[in-house]
Amino acid sequence: MSTLSWSHGLRVSLVLALLGVAAFPIYWMLVTSLTSSPDLFAAKPHLLPDLAQWPVYGHAFSTTAVAIWLKNSAIVAFGTAALSIALAIFPAYVLSRYRLPAVAVLGVALFVTQMLPEAMLVVPLYAIFGELGLLNSLGGLILANTAFTVPVITLILKGAVDGVPIDVEEAACIDGCSRLGIVLTVVLPLVAPSLAAAAVIAFFHGWNEYVFAQTLISDQGLQTASVGLAGFVGELSTPMHTVMAIGLMYTLPAVIFYLFVQRYVVSGMTAGSVKG
Amino acid sequence: MASISLQGVTKIFGGKKAANQISFDVADREFLVLLGPSGCGKSTLLRMLAGLEQVSSGEIHVGARRVDNLPPSDRDMAFVFQSYALYPHMTVRRNISFPLIMREHRWWFHLPLVGGFAKRRIEKSPAVRELVARTARTLALTDMLDQYPRTLSGGQRQRVALGRAMVRQPDVFLMDEPLSNLDAKLRTSMRAEIIKLHREVGGTFVYVTHDQIEAMTMGTRIALMRDGVVQQFGTPREIYADPANTFVARFIGTPPMNLIEARLEPQRGLLVGQSLLPLPAHLAALGSQAGDVLLGVRPHTLQLGQAGLAGKVALVEHVGAESIVSVQLEQARTAHHDDGGSGSDVMVVVPGYSELRIGQAVHLALELSEAVLFDRGGQRLRTPALSLAA
Repeated sequence: MSTLSWSHGLRVSLVLALLGVAAFPIYWMLVTSLTSSPDLFAAKPHLLPDLAQWPVYGHAFSTTAVAIWLKNSAIVAFGTAALSIALAIFPAYVLSRYRLPAVAVLGVALFVTQMLPEAMLVVPLYAIFGELGLLNSLGGLILANTAFTVPVITLILKGAVDGVPIDVEEAACIDGCSRLGIVLTVVLPLVAPSLAAAAVIAFFHGWNEYVFAQTLISDQGLQTASVGLAGFVGELSTPMHTVMAIGLMYTLPAVIFYLFVQRYVVSGMTAGSVKG
Repeated sequence: MASISLQGVTKIFGGKKAANQISFDVADREFLVLLGPSGCGKSTLLRMLAGLEQVSSGEIHVGARRVDNLPPSDRDMAFVFQSYALYPHMTVRRNISFPLIMREHRWWFHLPLVGGFAKRRIEKSPAVRELVARTARTLALTDMLDQYPRTLSGGQRQRVALGRAMVRQPDVFLMDEPLSNLDAKLRTSMRAEIIKLHREVGGTFVYVTHDQIEAMTMGTRIALMRDGVVQQFGTPREIYADPANTFVARFIGTPPMNLIEARLEPQRGLLVGQSLLPLPAHLAALGSQAGDVLLGVRPHTLQLGQAGLAGKVALVEHVGAESIVSVQLEQARTAHHDDGGSGSDVMVVVPGYSELRIGQAVHLALELSEAVLFDRGGQRLRTPALSLAA
């Protein structure tokens, strides 16, 4: 066997192994959701789903508010992604292009915010949101999540803006673009791959977030899926099928979103601008 | 009218003067080349003209307008970058029409969808279409209008960059080493294209390069710079034949001018080594002065023969139609100040394929009819008559 096919084979097996690690929990959710109650806690677990158990999904939809939870989660996730990017692109540009002491301080400050755990901020945030009337609103939840995603996304986008050749911006400046015009018509399209990556990060933060969703929202109709799902965990019994069925429904939209966005996460957008 | 006038333009970067008190005037439709080694401040000067750098002090006027306090877009100048700086996410057509679209720009063009629609409408308007098509025809880009820059070759990209500059029909074209990323062959043909463009478009061109061949062939005038200071400002012919100092003399011309240590003997002539040479007519007015000087002679004016300064061949380089022979003089020394070293090698260009061997004894016949004299500090010694003429 030649060296090339050896390394190829090794790579394929590593990818398959990683895929197994990543995909198995999802598969296990599927199997568990489709296992009849008596078999659930059997000594020998079933490795294949029992397709006769399909109605558990319909049952989950009709007896729980899962549709509303997923809708709320989607609103929060998309809202967080959109607001984070809109808020992060300008500081990212400033961090990348302006060499001022104040800008350096801003960069460090952004970094410092990453050291504060969410749980520590729950109480003060609850008090502030109470004052502002933002409790029990998905908008308030989006704001809270955005506060945590903006610093990360700003730093990611700063790295991307660093990669945009300054000549291209200067050319736009001479062609009559304002600063805002340069950012929106030249820089933004060129950092599209990083925007997609940033959107993924913010989306998943909003989609998965639990602590704020639990504390800032008390209205049942505004609960997100993470909180709704956790509500099933009872002291005496936990309906495993339903939890796993809803868990799967909670996972799939996120996977679909990622598959949709990941094709934009490609490099090479600036090829052809400057020498090369 | 797009004459350019610089008055005492200075740029200070962290205490260092990248451009120091630069003043000159460029006439309308002139092709000025800013020439100099890297780090001499020529690009900084061009960027100050464009407005990409602020001047630290001094004034820049274009026509009757003072522009040094205006933003780049209000100066009506086009800029061609060394790196092309095309917009990679736009087609060639959009790249070229971009300055025209920006002219019509309104704030709501920033909105998604609506803005895109508005920009497309401008791009498709008859006036813009016609102008872009004409520009593309001039630059042979018509077939590539719908391609993206990444699919083009270096030469094609540079032509798109030129097109983006031309389409605005600006008063002034600024070019920052636009050919230095191209290979040698393409550079020669693009050079001719830019000269043609200058003739056809008729704007005032300011062109930065470190390549003296580009400067000599393209410029109607050259500003030769070093360390942020203009060393000499004049036509290519003046700069070649009448250099202001040894830096200019050595920078222009290949191989560079030879500088031979010599001594002016009053009423007798010029003592080089042990040979006393009579001063030629154009230097006769210096005849009454005495002192150490540097004799500047171009390699093309020297001849190897039986009589003259004795030396031996140190190196022979064949370049095809001619050969460059380095001769090590036995009694005279050379002083190529700017190169740091001081040896005694003089370069001579002889026609054809030289059969000389290294080490062979030769004699160098000094021909002084085009010679120039510098003082030992490197400044040109001018005869009073010449100074009056200049």
